[in-house]
Amino acid sequence: MMITKKVLSRRTVLRSLGAAIPLPFLDAMVPALTALQRTAAQPRLRFGAVYVPNGVIPSQWFPSAEGTAFEMSPSLKPLERFRDRLLVVSGLDSVPPPPPGERQYNNHADASTRFLTDVTPSRSLRAGVSIDQILAKHVGQDTALPSLELALESVDSGSSCDFGRSCVYTGTISWAGPTSPLPMEHDPGAAFVRLFGDGTADAQARQARARQKSSILDSLRDEVGRLQASVSAPDRSRLSGYLESVRDVERRIQKAVAFNVEEPSFDRPAGIPDTFAQHARLMFDLQWLAYQGDVTRVVTFMMGREFSGRTYPEIGVPDAHHPISHHQRDPVRMEKCARINHYHVSLFAEFVEKLRTTPDGDGSLLDHVAIVYGAGMSEGNGHVPENLPILVVGGAGGRIAGGRHLKFTKGTPLANFHLSLLDRFGVRIDQHGNSTGPVSLD
Amino acid sequence: MHVHFAHGAAVVALAWAGLAWGAGPSASLGAVGGAGQQPSPEVDLRAFVSTYCAGCHNDRLRTGGLSLTDPALADPASHPELWEKVLHKVSTGQMPPPRQARPDPALLGRIVTNVTNTLDRNAELRSDPGRSGAHRLNRTEYGNAVRDLLGVTIDTSALLLQDEADDGFDNIASSLALSPAHLERYLTAAREISRLAVGDPSLGESTRSATYRVPRLLEQDVRLGDDLPFGSRGGLAVRHQFPLTGEYAFKIRLRRQVYDYIVGMGRAQDLDLRIDGKRVKRFRVGGEATGTPGPQTWNGEIVGDTPYELYLHAADAGLEVRAQVTAGVHVVSASFVDTPWEPEGVAQPLAVDFGRGSDEQFDGLAAVDALTVNGPYRGASAGDTASRRLIFSCGLGRRSLGEGGPAAAAEEARCARRILTRLARRAYRRPPTAEEMATLLGFYDAGAKARGFEAGVQSAIERMLVSFNFLFRIEREPAAAAGASYRVADLDLASRLSFFLWNSIPDETLLALAERNQLHEPAVLTQQVSRMLRDARASSLVTGFAGQWLGVRKAQGVLPDPNVFPEFDENLRRAFQRETTMFVESQIAADRSIVDLITADYSFVNERLAQHYGLRGVSGERFRRVTLSDGIRGGILGQGTVLMVTSYPDRTAPVVRGFWVLESLLGMPPPPPPPDIPDLKTVTEDGRPLSMRAQMERHRQSPACSVCHVRMDPLGFSLENFDAIGRWRQTSGGIPVDASSVFPDGTPIDGVAGLRAFIVKHQDSYIHTFVSKMLTYALGRQLDYRDQPAIRRIVRDAAASGHRWSAIVRGIALSTPFQMGRTAS
Repeated sequence: MMITKKVLSRRTVLRSLGAAIPLPFLDAMVPALTALQRTAAQPRLRFGAVYVPNGVIPSQWFPSAEGTAFEMSPSLKPLERFRDRLLVVSGLDSVPPPPPGERQYNNHADASTRFLTDVTPSRSLRAGVSIDQILAKHVGQDTALPSLELALESVDSGSSCDFGRSCVYTGTISWAGPTSPLPMEHDPGAAFVRLFGDGTADAQARQARARQKSSILDSLRDEVGRLQASVSAPDRSRLSGYLESVRDVERRIQKAVAFNVEEPSFDRPAGIPDTFAQHARLMFDLQWLAYQGDVTRVVTFMMGREFSGRTYPEIGVPDAHHPISHHQRDPVRMEKCARINHYHVSLFAEFVEKLRTTPDGDGSLLDHVAIVYGAGMSEGNGHVPENLPILVVGGAGGRIAGGRHLKFTKGTPLANFHLSLLDRFGVRIDQHGNSTGPVSLD
Repeated sequence: MHVHFAHGAAVVALAWAGLAWGAGPSASLGAVGGAGQQPSPEVDLRAFVSTYCAGCHNDRLRTGGLSLTDPALADPASHPELWEKVLHKVSTGQMPPPRQARPDPALLGRIVTNVTNTLDRNAELRSDPGRSGAHRLNRTEYGNAVRDLLGVTIDTSALLLQDEADDGFDNIASSLALSPAHLERYLTAAREISRLAVGDPSLGESTRSATYRVPRLLEQDVRLGDDLPFGSRGGLAVRHQFPLTGEYAFKIRLRRQVYDYIVGMGRAQDLDLRIDGKRVKRFRVGGEATGTPGPQTWNGEIVGDTPYELYLHAADAGLEVRAQVTAGVHVVSASFVDTPWEPEGVAQPLAVDFGRGSDEQFDGLAAVDALTVNGPYRGASAGDTASRRLIFSCGLGRRSLGEGGPAAAAEEARCARRILTRLARRAYRRPPTAEEMATLLGFYDAGAKARGFEAGVQSAIERMLVSFNFLFRIEREPAAAAGASYRVADLDLASRLSFFLWNSIPDETLLALAERNQLHEPAVLTQQVSRMLRDARASSLVTGFAGQWLGVRKAQGVLPDPNVFPEFDENLRRAFQRETTMFVESQIAADRSIVDLITADYSFVNERLAQHYGLRGVSGERFRRVTLSDGIRGGILGQGTVLMVTSYPDRTAPVVRGFWVLESLLGMPPPPPPPDIPDLKTVTEDGRPLSMRAQMERHRQSPACSVCHVRMDPLGFSLENFDAIGRWRQTSGGIPVDASSVFPDGTPIDGVAGLRAFIVKHQDSYIHTFVSKMLTYALGRQLDYRDQPAIRRIVRDAAASGHRWSAIVRGIALSTPFQMGRTAS
């Protein structure tokens, strides 16, 4: 097969990254014959969720005016140029009841877990399915990867986990089911392999590898089937979860073969970049590449683990994020928190800009995404789970109008908003998390 | 051992009637409140509750959601969950709360003893060992298992996804989920490992590249580890797995400063590349810059002459050498030859701040940024590795396809069966079933047909490593009623032991004993525990258990604020971690009492750490044991690891430290803070600013806050003489440090010595907590009230030895939760 488009080595670019010149993925690096080029005429709707930890400073976040005349608040300033593709949402609460016999804490573990599930996590490991995974079941089945989960912090990064709760809760926002949290990948190289394979250049070798994997998965299915007969009921139900994983990977391999997804011949990213901004940009680039190549249409991304104690000396905040988010109304600390919020939004805005300038079908990638950006608490100081800071960025294929500040009635459950979002993606379900019924996004 | 519930209740009722409380061991405690006669236990307890508890915990107030006045709840044996909670609160002095009437110690002692006895007796009659269910191997366990099974060293953090922790440990079954992303990683890892293990010649077909980076904040002015030669400076040493015997290329990249100039190029320096300590090449680098230099720091658009610029950007371009290396694990190192440019023995101030930022960048010392190993190149072959010796036990040489005819093929198949049966037995921790062997041999056949005998074995190993039998610990349950207790099969016990003590799979000795059904015999088990503790693999107790409990692992990710602590660098972080690790190792090796972790009068330091701690007479990079008689540094409470991970980046956090002591050492974690935390008052009513301590004292006056802070704060304040990176200080922000306060039980706590004394005074709580933590780690599940009797028994049994490590480990291995399982209900 002749592939004429010249592919630029990622390593060349990463060397530049090491030199603190953060280059984005260049168009030249996208190999020829990606799914996009073959099906460019049909734009697809993509979903994204970007999570930021430890709440925000509401006074700096929310515009005071409602509707189309809203003013760009200080925290949202970096998104000003995308105003027509920006829906600011306020008034949503996430206070689902705790599991029977447990207390309501509204702490950090609750914030991240509820963000896409609107379910209060339990002491024993249990929450609820998240909307990205509901979408992955529906719109994700046509792509090589149903969904992609990314993050910037690992559990080893020195951050603590919430009091007496599993670190799972603060480390993910994606749940395939009530007892199936999905791990978030923070290593760009590994994420790259998930998207494009392990870089086996030779097509024949790749096919052989796919065959070997398929036969392993085949026999794993038999093995689990046999095991299920001999284990206890709870283990059996866990095993069916594993079986689901086996099927999922099988599907994925078949699709990779069917779509003949080119595994790019450039080197995958090596290691984790030195700085937060470089790391964030690289992870956003991977999302951009995933959308563009139609490798997946569902991405979740945590810019920090909930409860994150990351320091941001590069923007003049050498303090750990979590402690200063309990700012006790100290103006200095509040200003620093607002600076972190602004910083996160500005890095996100660079990604949005890239989406805006990337042609996709009859418009741009930005026209065909809906990215939910936000936090699981409004004010970090009091862990306030009401009036959550949430944005929807992107044209959503014309299904969600931007340029507005949509203020819901006080007390509207977050899950009602989830229901309506799902509806815009063509997924109609009656109930999700703590929902009482859909809301109007018009 | 299991008693059906209905029977159990009857037996318990009998026990209640037959074993009068007052006749128990505490009868000698004597009369209470002037009563002439000992009341019956029921009356005694009821009176206690109504006097000291029911004021708040009644049906009307239900403080903390709890009423104790319901007569139906009065029997501890029937309501163990409730009474374990009450017992914990009362025996640790948390209840009755401060400023409420307190029972006299004799009465309290009797109540605690009696309730404890009732609960323990009840637990023996109705044992509930708990269950954790299928248990996925975590990253560490997987890496160790692969090491022990195949002799392959892998970087698990690169190959596998991170594991999330719960209750402080990353081996808790319920938090070890499996997702498609995990499975994909396992598939990739299995292929990589199996190919490395057999020395798959096709590994040589594509160039492999591994880059090892040196942390930016690691100062390279001294010898940096035991794997580096004496007289060396800086650099790094890595244990690299060479897949094949062949030629490899080694490339060294030097450290750059922020504007991408290579650091330390002002003079020539020698740089050695070594393999297993043997020098492969000595490079000379630096000192050849010509032309007008550019400014060392940012100075607009000014740059140096072109030759200067080129040299400063590319002086390390030729630091590359090729060498023939045999397959297997070798230590590769790159380090400078230490040529002192100042007299030795004269302590120089640490380079910090602007000095580190600019002054040394041209004239100072060059440093290694990364080492890359590429290859193999040209005619690579499998070679003779430990892995191959482990795997290819039948002495069949490498044959090309079809060579030797059908007779040879049959011989190979027999050999493959022997190899795979042996490996599967260890990988699955039990003899493989016929079906499992058929699966593996199927993969062998397919691989062997396509690419020969060894490829067949590789393919079968690849399949073995993604088997759920390898990736998961799944225990066989007997066909018994739901919720029934049973003794775990010996093979499952072997796995429990090896994952607890070694974080790895059982060895041949354990498997053989288990197959003969002897492992569970107490004498055999005790002997095996001792053997296992002497084995090098038991270091996982230090890294896995103590490393997580004491924050050594967490210290890896902590980054103190460079503006406040410019002297903090990677060397100091490593020194902290090394100190705590060596200290715990020494405690286990000497089989000390676990209380000695708090009270020991020694530690391990090198020159850097000694300077940091203000200790004299220690020079050089070697860590050595030092006796500490100042009452400041002894034990974990004076160690940088603990003090740093319980601080904020820019300052100490007494609340965090206090919480840590309560949670990790005393087992009394305060509940999470309420959602709506009142703001700290930073100024007085008339506008004067308040010190942090004064703010916190005001905060404590609010009843909602005081209930927890009244206990956390004094413990945290006692460590205030240590700053956020563990340095001793007398003042903070110009104000003398006040490290004294009073615990709610009236005990004054003054400084770290006071805190040590406080913990020793409450060593029952400390020991109980230590055992709970270790039992959590040993079982890989959350503990609950049902495990409390077992913990108390382990504590009691270890008391005879003065709570030595070995006694506690043995007690856990012999305990009901460790030896038994419960069928699902």
